Amino acid sequence: MLRPFEFCEPTSVAEASGLLARHGENARIYAGGTELLLAMKMGLLQYEHLVSIKGISSLAGIRFDDGAKALRIGGATRHREIELSPVVRERFPAIAQMESHVANVRVREQGTIAGNLCFAEPHADPGTLLQVYDATVTLEKADGRRTVPLEKLFVGPFEVALEADEILSEITVPALHPKMAAAYLKFGILERPSVGVGVALGLNGGGVKEVRIAVGCVGPVPRRMREAEAMLAGKSLAEAEALLPAAGEAAARAADAVSDLHGGADYKEHLVKVLIGRAFQAARQQLA
Amino acid sequence: MKFEKTVTVKAAREAVWQFLWDVPRVAACIPGCKGAQVVEEGKRYAATVGERVGPFKVEFPLTIEVLESRAPEYLKARAGGRDGKVDGMVKVELDLHLAEAGGGTELRLTTDVVVLGKLGTLGHSIVIRKGDEVVGKFAEAIRAQLER
Repeated sequence: MLRPFEFCEPTSVAEASGLLARHGENARIYAGGTELLLAMKMGLLQYEHLVSIKGISSLAGIRFDDGAKALRIGGATRHREIELSPVVRERFPAIAQMESHVANVRVREQGTIAGNLCFAEPHADPGTLLQVYDATVTLEKADGRRTVPLEKLFVGPFEVALEADEILSEITVPALHPKMAAAYLKFGILERPSVGVGVALGLNGGGVKEVRIAVGCVGPVPRRMREAEAMLAGKSLAEAEALLPAAGEAAARAADAVSDLHGGADYKEHLVKVLIGRAFQAARQQLA
Repeated sequence: MKFEKTVTVKAAREAVWQFLWDVPRVAACIPGCKGAQVVEEGKRYAATVGERVGPFKVEFPLTIEVLESRAPEYLKARAGGRDGKVDGMVKVELDLHLAEAGGGTELRLTTDVVVLGKLGTLGHSIVIRKGDEVVGKFAEAIRAQLER
């Protein structure tokens, strides 16, 4: 049963931030509610005030910033909008593809990108793939704003580096270099994925100029796998392909897997290795 | 879920054993523990233990029962309680072995934790990690208490 609460509908970030500051732990941001309301219905969370950010126009919309060569996604943008956005489909196909497989269509119609990132349920997709784009997030409150790398937003399961009165207002996703492509693969046996892997690959003639790898769902937070990246960067394509299993193993070790209902730790480590190999090839094929 | 931690403390085994029966000092080592009290000396104790994972907060009033004790080497206890707000239940079985180790004492702590009810929906892996973290902190805090 959902307990009674006050539903606040601010129209600006400053107003929303003020409400959050005033009510402290008794208030929570309501973005899409797909996670929050479930937890509240089960009685796992209780708030006296929900601060809806749906009516804040500055948090809506998707646009490509030509000056910064980056995609700017408003925090209150729903998954479905990202999935169907022409600019995302054309210039960030891996993101559109990933978004089209988030949960199910009902969730995608309601759930928002900032809500997904800030709830920080470890078994989620966007936080993993967006890291291989070196995405940053803008955290805004009544009297200021700061920009942090997405990687730094995730502190622990269900925990982000958001101050009590801050709102994730925008996600900035820099465009990949023209000779670069990204892919996201996931696998799961339950409703939520057991493992998610994002790879961005940049080629330079016959060599791997740059590779970025992120792993999610397996550990407490999605993260970049820099040891594995370093093993592949600067190598010829043939060398990199030969090194993929070893790089996959390095990432699997770094992923901090735990045995749970989604699978045993060794099984998840195996999946990390397999999916990194496949995502690498998927990215490579886009560059062929 | 089983968690095992071993710590070596620079204190005689006898002193460590005595410490284990000092309720306020042991309670101070348990993360989020308050209101620890003796119900029946050497047999039953009560305490409230609270934890949080991100926005999720739980609080369990626990009854702790000593099942077996062999001074100064072995202690077995069981704790259980229910969170009224969240409708979760926790059961913990604790085995503690004390062994002399080069002038100090080695504490081997084995816990078997069962979490039931809606709390389980929070995510099995999260509960496992938190449990592991709590047992680790407990073991370290015991060392800090005994070595100061």
